[in-house]
Amino acid sequence: MRRYLAGRVLQGVGVVLMIATLTYVLLHLAPGDPITMSLDRPGVTEATRAEWRRAYGLDRPLGEQYLRWVAGAARGDLGYSYSHHRPVGDVIAEALPRTALLTGLALLLSFGVGIAVGVLQVERAGGHRDRWMGRVLLLLYSVPDFWLALLALLLFAYRIPVLPAGGLVDPVMYEYLTPSQQLVDRLRHLVLPVTTLTLLTSAVIARYQRSALLEVIATDWMRTALAKGLSWRKAVRRHALRNALLPTITLAGLSLPALAAGALFVEKVFSWPGMGLVTVNAIGARDYPLVTGGVLVISVMVVAGALLADLVIALADPRVRLR
Amino acid sequence: MRISLQTRVRRWAPVAIAVLGLAGCKGTEQAATTAGPADIGGTMVISTATDAGTMLPVLIGSNLDRQVTDLLYDRLADISTELVTVGDRGFKPQLAQRWEWSRDSLSITFHLNPAARWHDGRPVRASDVRFSLGLVKNPATGSAISSLVTNIDSVSIRDSLTVVAWFKMRTPEQFYELVYQIPVMPEHLLANTPPGELKTSDVSRRGIGSGRFRLAKWAPGQRIELVADTANYRGRPKLDRVVYSISPDAASSVTRFFAGDADFHEQLRTDNLAQLAKDTVRRLMRYPNLQHAYLAFNLVDPANTSRPHPIFGDRAVRRALSMAIDRRAMLRNVFDTLGQLSYGPFPSKLPVADTTLPQLPYDTAAARMLLDSAGWVMGPGAVRVKDGRRLEFGLTVPNSSAPRKAYSVLLQEAFRRIGASVKIEEMDFPSFSAKQAAHGFDTEIAAYGSDPSVSGFKQAWSTEGMKPGGFNFPSYSNPAVDALLDSATVTFDFARTRTYARRAFEMIMEDAPGVWLYEPLTLGGIDRRVRVGDLRADGYWATMADWWIPADKRSARDRIGLRPTP
Repeated sequence: MRRYLAGRVLQGVGVVLMIATLTYVLLHLAPGDPITMSLDRPGVTEATRAEWRRAYGLDRPLGEQYLRWVAGAARGDLGYSYSHHRPVGDVIAEALPRTALLTGLALLLSFGVGIAVGVLQVERAGGHRDRWMGRVLLLLYSVPDFWLALLALLLFAYRIPVLPAGGLVDPVMYEYLTPSQQLVDRLRHLVLPVTTLTLLTSAVIARYQRSALLEVIATDWMRTALAKGLSWRKAVRRHALRNALLPTITLAGLSLPALAAGALFVEKVFSWPGMGLVTVNAIGARDYPLVTGGVLVISVMVVAGALLADLVIALADPRVRLR
Repeated sequence: MRISLQTRVRRWAPVAIAVLGLAGCKGTEQAATTAGPADIGGTMVISTATDAGTMLPVLIGSNLDRQVTDLLYDRLADISTELVTVGDRGFKPQLAQRWEWSRDSLSITFHLNPAARWHDGRPVRASDVRFSLGLVKNPATGSAISSLVTNIDSVSIRDSLTVVAWFKMRTPEQFYELVYQIPVMPEHLLANTPPGELKTSDVSRRGIGSGRFRLAKWAPGQRIELVADTANYRGRPKLDRVVYSISPDAASSVTRFFAGDADFHEQLRTDNLAQLAKDTVRRLMRYPNLQHAYLAFNLVDPANTSRPHPIFGDRAVRRALSMAIDRRAMLRNVFDTLGQLSYGPFPSKLPVADTTLPQLPYDTAAARMLLDSAGWVMGPGAVRVKDGRRLEFGLTVPNSSAPRKAYSVLLQEAFRRIGASVKIEEMDFPSFSAKQAAHGFDTEIAAYGSDPSVSGFKQAWSTEGMKPGGFNFPSYSNPAVDALLDSATVTFDFARTRTYARRAFEMIMEDAPGVWLYEPLTLGGIDRRVRVGDLRADGYWATMADWWIPADKRSARDRIGLRPTP
């Protein structure tokens, strides 16, 4: 087991390093640089541009810049963000918890709702409820995330303005509210983005869960359980569900990177300044250190998520052995 | 699907009426009654899609940087609404109560207002003015302003409230250069930080100035909160608070405005205006600007900039292509009734602008004849050919600009009709900027925001502006134009400045290094309860300290008062 873990970690480090290097090189190959973006206005001399490039080390050869970045990253210093005018570590430290809160809540709700819907469908497989739920799930599965987000925004923030249009909190009033009012304000701002993400993700999970359950209920031991007098509902919930959870656990592991990467379109529509949005905006601003730092964090989460999923599957299913 | 003219008229009529109504206001947004004592207070939230990068005016890079620092920091004197940059005509005292010119005009003595204070309570002193000039001019600071103040030699201190600015040459804009370009910054806070480290230091984020607003809080990526400096020597602003609410992108920013989370949104898109015309809570606000957009022909070969461009090096070809463009029809197509034709290589709000200059006519028959006589004859595929070279070229546009993308398609079609093949090259803004700066394009749609001075205009069309860092992207060079622009910047007679500038504009337009397409109408949205005064073309926010919200129109956020931010 230890050997397996050491091998996977080593493999993961290699993957992360490769992704970071590729990101760094590809980004530098794109035309323009952060100075072009921030100083594109009258009166800026080439000397000023050169001074800014020197100040940020952008006048050094690409190889040297990369080695400096790697050396800094190894010490935990991911560099200075040109677009945020702050250390990259600070920007990520601020954006990561926001994304984790949004996607974490959405994932928890999605798995709860998705598994429950899958079970409800299988309890009456082929029946009216199963068909009706299947259609709704298919619709949600097919809807583009940005469309659903925009629809929710238009409906509940503009047409029937009962929820805020976006952001983490009220930009003016939050600071002047009591702690309990602040909590309510924060929750109100979470409702639309979390609901949108939950609806989208739970549709996928429910479809997986239904398929896995349908496979399991066809097995001999389920027939035995029913023959022993267990009701259909009890047999599904007590025996079939546990055995049918393996694909869902894999899906959960693979969803972990979303905690770091964010849900770009939902973050964009609801002005949620999380990791996805920060990284994409940084690409537009040619903010090399922030993009590379963001990609580094996201790729670590992808590798860790895949490893975690394998470990949990091994724990949940004694037939699986890790070598 | 074709939309009938009547439908289009019906759809846009309310917007057009609103815009035309506002156009009549000419700078003043609203004939509002003046604010009474009870009308002091209120909060205005501005929805924006960008965050500021600094709170130190010497380091500004973006429009929002300038906007916020303009509100936080005062200058020695402020320019008039007419933006006259010659002499000290129209300038209003700010930190300087009064000033005197020396007999040879090579120095100006400024007497500072003894009541002026920094937001931390320390008095503003003559040494702050000297320090500010030194900081701007220090190459290690890397200030974008430094190239604009080269004529200022130094500042000496006569006493703690009297400074003397010394100039290398007597020029019409020497006063403007000093007072408009140099914001006065606090020496006691900045002197201990090496200029090269200011960009990354915390002191550049504190925003302690002497303006009528002071910085209460800057939560990066979320909001910037300015509050009234109630003890300000120029009087407190009428609003209690201005909050910049930062959204991650333009669409979210607009949505927040329409959802009522903000009171003001600058530069709305045309598709938002129809919605605004029906809105009973918000209204359209037109504000002047110094921007214009044009199709630039690159006069040098992108592959080797020391050679003329194989197509656009020929003046006749440029003129022919210009005559193939129906600018008016294109303007209507892209902006409907909400656009304004460009009058030439200058923004129409520039004090020296002349909106009566003749432009090349739209005449496709004449354009074809000009191309024929220049040796470009029709070849295979209905594309003209000369010496084996097809009349084919690229048209570069940034994909972030919807109007420029729309124009590129229309221009492609217009050029096709006279036998020129255009390949549209859309790219993200950094790529576009890099290509532009390297003169690496055939043609491009450039949008240029000028400053109010003629010297600013020189950077775009003089030979000097071709150097790296200049804004003469088409590489246009005409010694006669250079001489005229030089004359325009050295005469003290404003009427002669206009005459020289007019002749320079005429010559540029005859040489056709570009086609002057449009001036964007800057149309924002504002909550009806906010009262706005005179607006300046170099920045609508210049008068924001005098905007107000009537006491009987206040909402919950207006009633917070001046409680300190927790």
